[in-house]
Amino acid sequence: MIYLDNAATTKYKPEEVYKAYEFYIREVGVSPGRGSYQLGIDASRMLYKTRRLVAKYFGLKEANVIFTKNSTEAINMFFNGYLKQGDHVVISCYEHNAVLRPLHALKEKGIIDYSVMSRDDLLLSEDEIFDKYVKINTVLFATTLASNLTGRVIYRSELIRYMKGKGICTFVDSSQGAGKIHLSMSDDEIDYIAFTGHKDLLALPGVGGLVCSDKPNWKPLLQGGTGVLGDSYVNPEVFPEAYEAGTLNMPAIWSLNAALEWIKQNYESINKHEKELTNYLIEELGKISGVVIYDKEYDRVGTVGINISMKKSNEIVQLLDENGICTRGGIHCAVLAHEALGTKEKGIIRISIGWTNKKEEIDTLIKVLKSVGDF
Amino acid sequence: MHIVFYSTSHVFETEERLKEKGIECKIVPTPVTDKAYCGVCVETDAENVGQYIEDLEHRIVE
Repeated sequence: MIYLDNAATTKYKPEEVYKAYEFYIREVGVSPGRGSYQLGIDASRMLYKTRRLVAKYFGLKEANVIFTKNSTEAINMFFNGYLKQGDHVVISCYEHNAVLRPLHALKEKGIIDYSVMSRDDLLLSEDEIFDKYVKINTVLFATTLASNLTGRVIYRSELIRYMKGKGICTFVDSSQGAGKIHLSMSDDEIDYIAFTGHKDLLALPGVGGLVCSDKPNWKPLLQGGTGVLGDSYVNPEVFPEAYEAGTLNMPAIWSLNAALEWIKQNYESINKHEKELTNYLIEELGKISGVVIYDKEYDRVGTVGINISMKKSNEIVQLLDENGICTRGGIHCAVLAHEALGTKEKGIIRISIGWTNKKEEIDTLIKVLKSVGDF
Repeated sequence: MHIVFYSTSHVFETEERLKEKGIECKIVPTPVTDKAYCGVCVETDAENVGQYIEDLEHRIVE
């Protein structure tokens, strides 16, 4: 089996990640912030260490990390907590539905409004983007790090700094690319980053979070047990516990700790490997008649979105599956990007490379795609 | 003495800072009279540790 759906979830993790998970469930197995016996204290310390490690990974000195089950929950928590009646938000046309939908839901309730930077306008200067999209009530500029559909890097550090310089809060959805592009919240003046563990951060599914440059003072998404100030009728105003009601997925969090340590050690080599494979994939795809490669000319992560002639993407993906190759087709969770690329009807075939993929696997993929004209 | 905190994160941040300074300390259950604070706290015999955690909301319980 050839796995090329790493943009959805990295199937293969470093051995250290599996071991960390197993260690936690076998040797610790209790929740942080609950029992004050030694094992519970160990769990709390492991949680704190991971918080610290995540913050450092994203270039933040303070351990201002809120853990959630994924980036979707982190984004919902942030938008619903931070945005107020009458606010306006600017986003790109490459945002995942995890960004679009909570914003659109707030718009439908009459709470906020948002503007979407078009595909062409992503190439404008900072001044031009500001003049065209920012309104008097714009409080937030939100951008994805990279497109989940085409792999194109959307994040521009100079644009983030520009917006921050204009007094606008800045947010990056790092779900695609956090393991491949180093972000520094302090250097790039990013106020909030949402992340998820199970993609290129190489942890297990079930952990994500929000990294905050300053401790937030807005309302949490969930009310419930926080492990502190249990005699209060609502979540106490204690950071980060107030934003982490309910039992955390500590085995996944500890796997994230191991994954980040592994990425730190192997960052250069895995990025070099993935870049080489991605370039090779694009080169070989270009030799196939009728193949359209979306956003071919831009900097990218290891994700490539294509279509072949007039074939429907789901038909191609089915053919690949019959040949033991896992890719994804159809409409991905990014309706704005499909609209921008004109692929809302036929979808896109997404091939996403991971750290364990090999050149021979790309050759097999290409061989099957070359046979498309035959079926 | 016990150093008690609202946030569990601050407990472990304090442990980290004190150990970096070579100050012996351990994490223990918070004295029951201080239920307003989180369930665990830092216990140490060292004096003048408050200077290292001025930015962390805490209380010293002798």
